Formats: sequence, C-alpha cells, structure tokens
Amino acid sequence: MDVELRNRIYAWFVEHGQAPTLEEAGADEDALRRLHDAHALVLEPDLPKIRMLNPFSAVPTAYRVEAGGRSWYGNCVWDAFGIPAALGVDGHVSTTCSDCGEALEVDVVDQRPRPSDLVAHILLPARRWWDDIVFT
Amino acid sequence: MNLFRSEEHVARWLEANGYDAGATLSAEGICDLAQAWWGDRLAPDWRPHTLEQNQAILDGLGLTGEFWRLA
Repeated sequence: MDVELRNRIYAWFVEHGQAPTLEEAGADEDALRRLHDAHALVLEPDLPKIRMLNPFSAVPTAYRVEAGGRSWYGNCVWDAFGIPAALGVDGHVSTTCSDCGEALEVDVVDQRPRPSDLVAHILLPARRWWDDIVFT
Repeated sequence: MNLFRSEEHVARWLEANGYDAGATLSAEGICDLAQAWWGDRLAPDWRPHTLEQNQAILDGLGLTGEFWRLA
C-alpha cells in the first residue's frame, strides 16, 4: 500500500472538507484503485472518485457530525462516532432512528456519548463487512 | 450500522425489513469501538492495521464469538 499517498489524501480531506480529485491528490487512477483494493479508501463504483475515507464520507449521509469547528458526514453510526475520535476532539452526531425516523442528537464529550441510552445495530458479521461496504 | 432509540426499535426495524438480527451495542459500546478502531486514522505515522490488530481491538472490547471474527 502507498501509505504516503493515503496519508496525503486524508490530510487533504481534513484540510479542505472534501475529497481530492485525482489531480489534487497527485495520483493516477491505478494508484487510487490499489488503495481501494487494500481497503484504505473506497471509490465510487466504476469511477475514480473517492466516496469514503473511513470514518469520513465524501458524500452526504444520514450521519452528520459536527467536530473541530466543521461539519462532516460519517458512513454509518460507527464511523460517525469515529470522526471525533480520529480528530481527537469532542463532537456532535445528528441522525434519525432508522426505525421510527425520530431525530437523534448525540454529544460526544471526552469520548462518551450523551445521551447514552441509544443503541447501535450491526447487521452483518465481521467477515462480511467488506463484501459490500456501502451497504455495511 | 445504524442508530436506534432502543432495542425495541431495532427489533421492529429488523422485522419490517426481513433482516436477521446482527449485534446490538449500547451507545457507549459503539463509542468505545469507534475510538479504538478509528482513533489513529489521522496520525502522521499511521500504518495499516493488520487483521490481527483489528481482531485484537474487537477482542479487547469483549466483542468475541463468531459474529465478530474478521476471518
């Protein structure tokens, strides 16, 4: 894996709040494809365009996160809580209950969620997480 | 991987969508998992986790059993 390229792409994303293009990343499609195949990032299907830099999503999702003075999107609840963790700051997650649609607002302070009486559900077993990472 | 108001809401969502149940974690549990899994993701000296390292994270949080086996 080209760790230097991967780290450059992540740093670019955090600085600019959006995924770099191929040109901005200073990479060709093959290099991005290799990072995708190594699960270091996720490309859009059939496009050399970054969709996920886990825990960050490069496209809007149902998991909006405020952290470090910026707004982000997480790919799922696990990733949403992972954004404050990756940035090393407190944060706030806004989403809805997947069942009833009620708004759920969660502060993450000192790595603890408030309120803490909500629950997360992981549908697929661990060995299947990368079968279809967008669904996961 | 979704967030719900309660386990009752999880059960209703599973039934409505015809899904088999996976694993339910408390908000505290998913927060701990997120911290352990993603906490180093922006570190300047970041290196890819090996499968063994990731499995150790899960094991260390008590996430054991067949559901949590990465391979």
